[in-house]
Amino acid sequence: MSGSLFDIIGPIMIGPSSSHTAGAVRLGNLVRQIAQNPVQEAKFILYNSFAKTYQGHGTDRGLLAGLLGLTVHDDQIRDAFELARKAGFTYKFSPFDGPNAYSPNTVKFQLVLHNVKKGEPGSNKENPFTIVGHSIGGGRVYLSKINDYNVSLKGESPTLLLFYTDQPGMIWQVTKIIASYNINIASLQCTREQRGGTACMTILLDELLPEAGVKEVQQIPGMTHTLNMDKLPE
Amino acid sequence: MKPFDSFDALLAHCEKENCTISQAAFAVEKAQSGREQSEIEANLDALMAQMRQTIESGIASDEKSMSGLSGGDAKKIMAFLNMDQCFLPPVTMRMIAYGLATLEENSRMKKIVACPTAGGSGSVPALLIALEHEHKTNPDKSKFGLATAGIIGQIVAQRMHLSGAAAGCQAEVGVASGMAAAAAVETLGGAPQQVLEAAAISMQNLMGLVCDPVAGLVEVPCVVRNGISGVQAGVAATMAMAGVNSFIPLDEVVDAMAEVGRMMNPRLKESAEGGLAQTPTAVEFTNKFFK
Repeated sequence: MSGSLFDIIGPIMIGPSSSHTAGAVRLGNLVRQIAQNPVQEAKFILYNSFAKTYQGHGTDRGLLAGLLGLTVHDDQIRDAFELARKAGFTYKFSPFDGPNAYSPNTVKFQLVLHNVKKGEPGSNKENPFTIVGHSIGGGRVYLSKINDYNVSLKGESPTLLLFYTDQPGMIWQVTKIIASYNINIASLQCTREQRGGTACMTILLDELLPEAGVKEVQQIPGMTHTLNMDKLPE
Repeated sequence: MKPFDSFDALLAHCEKENCTISQAAFAVEKAQSGREQSEIEANLDALMAQMRQTIESGIASDEKSMSGLSGGDAKKIMAFLNMDQCFLPPVTMRMIAYGLATLEENSRMKKIVACPTAGGSGSVPALLIALEHEHKTNPDKSKFGLATAGIIGQIVAQRMHLSGAAAGCQAEVGVASGMAAAAAVETLGGAPQQVLEAAAISMQNLMGLVCDPVAGLVEVPCVVRNGISGVQAGVAATMAMAGVNSFIPLDEVVDAMAEVGRMMNPRLKESAEGGLAQTPTAVEFTNKFFK
């Protein structure tokens, strides 16, 4: 649901398409925050309308620009191919031709990242860091999958994304820390693979949790991975 | 205060509080974002300023898009404005030129304001800014038109994705024309009911419009459609202010549009597999372009 007038009017953006250009930049921006480490190799698998029309819409440039940290109104989006080469990463676009269950404008990022331990996602081409993102119109986007985990991340507010071993008391421990920073929670969602398995908590906040708070959350026994993401820039 | 989930609820609120549609939009935005009225107004002013800038550079430019399919038509309209053959009034000519200019800048990968999308970004600025230039509406008040356009789009967006890929061009240019018609009525001091009638009339006229871009580019027919959609919105706004009734309420128009979007063949939803995109001329161009 649209929370703001400015989801409809705006963003100020580089053309030509809000879903294919601005949406692509924003998906890249989200992935950049999640991947945390610099990209070495990026493969983009494009689905449906993204697959058919990505070149003419600058979707390719937008995805790269987003991964490089440019915002939707940056004049340099046009030069994204060159900027990616300068940043020292290789890229490949693979349109997927065939039936699939994804929404009209979907991209799967498969990234090889710097500074990732062997065996971890992103360490090499056979085990890439994988994220599935969707552009749903007007520049609005969401991510539905990070590696093996189903998520729902829109980047419309500061978000704390936590992976942990399912056990009693996790919500209480996490929210106690957030409360101690006097930050309000807008929404909280938990999912899990199975009882006692890996669980995922997505918390939308009214303000970004300071680094010190994130450190406290990381200390909670059973916490395996934390991601503290700011909302997407205007 | 939570966002309105229907136009009925929006109108009931306006009647109860004796307020305009844009005042209702501000009330929701303040509650949702926690921001002050002045901040929201400044944000809207900045977007209006970018819209004016895009139009100003667009009507002066001969530059073609990267594909060469578009560029320079806005300038032609501005030149034709002074010709003997020109029978449309200046305000209409500017609506055409400004809509074209915005989309041409978009195709050049220049800066535009998505409204609600890039492909539909021409209508709202074309109408609001043509009114500033030829009808002497106060540029400081255009933000209230823009807020009105915004809340119309917000409510529509709860029922359908605003993208050609999800529901065809009706979801982009169609919704934009409804937003623009509503914005014009608000700016000209129409009643809340008339604002909604204007949007309903304009959206009825573009119901079912398919998204069939040549070579998948936001150029043909997007540019000319944006040259016309602002004018169409002006016509719808005029009809509503004169007292013409849309018969079908806006909520139902939107639900019908969403339903038509679901029924629409995927080949007519931005994939460039049908409509104008598959004409011999388009296919020939596409083959050359992607060679």
